Amino acid sequence: MHYWFPRLTMIAAGVLFAGATVIGQTPAHRAPLRTPWGDPDLQGLWTNATITPFERPATMSGKPVLTEQEAAEFEKETLRARDADSRAGGTDADLARAYNQFWYDRGTKVVGTRRTSLVVDPPDGRVPMLIPAAQQRADARLAARRRSPADGPEDRSLVERCILWPVAGPPMIPGGYNNNYQILQTPGYVAILIEMIHDVRIIPLDGRAHAPSSIQQWMGDSRGRWDGNTLVVTTTNFTGKTNFRGSSEHLRLVERFTRVDPGTINYEFTIDDPASFPRPWTAAIPMTKTDGPIFEYACHEGNYGMTNLLSGARAEEQSK
Amino acid sequence: MRTTLMCVLAAASLVCAYVPVRAHHAFAAEFDAKKPIKLQGTVTKVEWINPHAWIHIDVKAPNGTVEQWMIEGGTPNTLFRRGVNKNSLPAGTVIVVDGYQAKDGTLKGNGRDITFPDGRKLFIGSTGTGAPGDPQQPPK
Repeated sequence: MHYWFPRLTMIAAGVLFAGATVIGQTPAHRAPLRTPWGDPDLQGLWTNATITPFERPATMSGKPVLTEQEAAEFEKETLRARDADSRAGGTDADLARAYNQFWYDRGTKVVGTRRTSLVVDPPDGRVPMLIPAAQQRADARLAARRRSPADGPEDRSLVERCILWPVAGPPMIPGGYNNNYQILQTPGYVAILIEMIHDVRIIPLDGRAHAPSSIQQWMGDSRGRWDGNTLVVTTTNFTGKTNFRGSSEHLRLVERFTRVDPGTINYEFTIDDPASFPRPWTAAIPMTKTDGPIFEYACHEGNYGMTNLLSGARAEEQSK
Repeated sequence: MRTTLMCVLAAASLVCAYVPVRAHHAFAAEFDAKKPIKLQGTVTKVEWINPHAWIHIDVKAPNGTVEQWMIEGGTPNTLFRRGVNKNSLPAGTVIVVDGYQAKDGTLKGNGRDITFPDGRKLFIGSTGTGAPGDPQQPPK
């Protein structure tokens, strides 16, 4: 019951929402939501940019949904805070923000449900605490990073090395910029181009088995199937080198894509990893239609930052 | 009641606005918060490359020599989407850069804020740009 309640309410909300959008539309208008070969049609360019926080902030504890007026205030205040002079918080914080807002593309609106977190289960909108074994892994990673912060590029994060971004996933969550996706379908496959960082997930739908457990991949190994109008993608075979909020190579990720109206896909994912979390947890993020094009984010082509931060580390060592 | 709620919302949005912001890499590892810089220089070229664009400027030092600085920005993707292109910042443009110098002491900096000499922002803020999804109109 604990697990089912949010899912049922979401389905009910989704039905109401879908029902509301078809009022006044002709059946012919709804027809394009299937591919010529009869699969639900998820194709197009989509963005998941939003200012709704991933986890519910402590200041919104006990308030799962904003009213319309509160949502408008939240949007206004967030934009105001972003545009404020970032030096007010001190030079360290200012430097951490890198550059002014024009370079970011984080969206300006809360999600349509006006929820105060993208995490929908547990009901408190917070990612469950890591179990002790997972916390030990996280502590060990941090200790290794402190022992050897920048001896070579291998010590730096996957992001800085342009290998993988945690927001690109899977699962796919909004970040500071490049929150754009293109979905293409053929009979038997769904392909998802992720602008961050120009990876393409090619997901077979033919029921084949996952790769053997000896095969571990940065983005795991995905298999898809249709459950009514919903694309269900299960991903396993992750490496221990990637982790999503502390997850392990034993993560079993289930993503659900449902096109609830011509302009919206409800994207929902569940993290199931008993080696890391005491219970599965779920987030729901709308993907909305966007204009193209998607640009190639060839992350390593001009990665001067890597040489600069290594030379910065050498300079710091010499000054000590 | 209304005031209390607004305070809660304001505080929460500050958390929301500031906590998840991050660039491609840790700028604190590359640049030195103890070395703020303010430079006026002439653009010689712009590298519209990923993961970060770099603006090259010639800066006249107090002793009369010309220093060649490189200034780091964000991904060009975001700017292209807003209509900025390689003609938007031609060589010869004079700009003022507010940022921090590289830790290794070389002539590199982050372009936390870039303006024209008269104070106008070169890349204006996230709101009022008329960009897709921007709820506000450009400033009159």
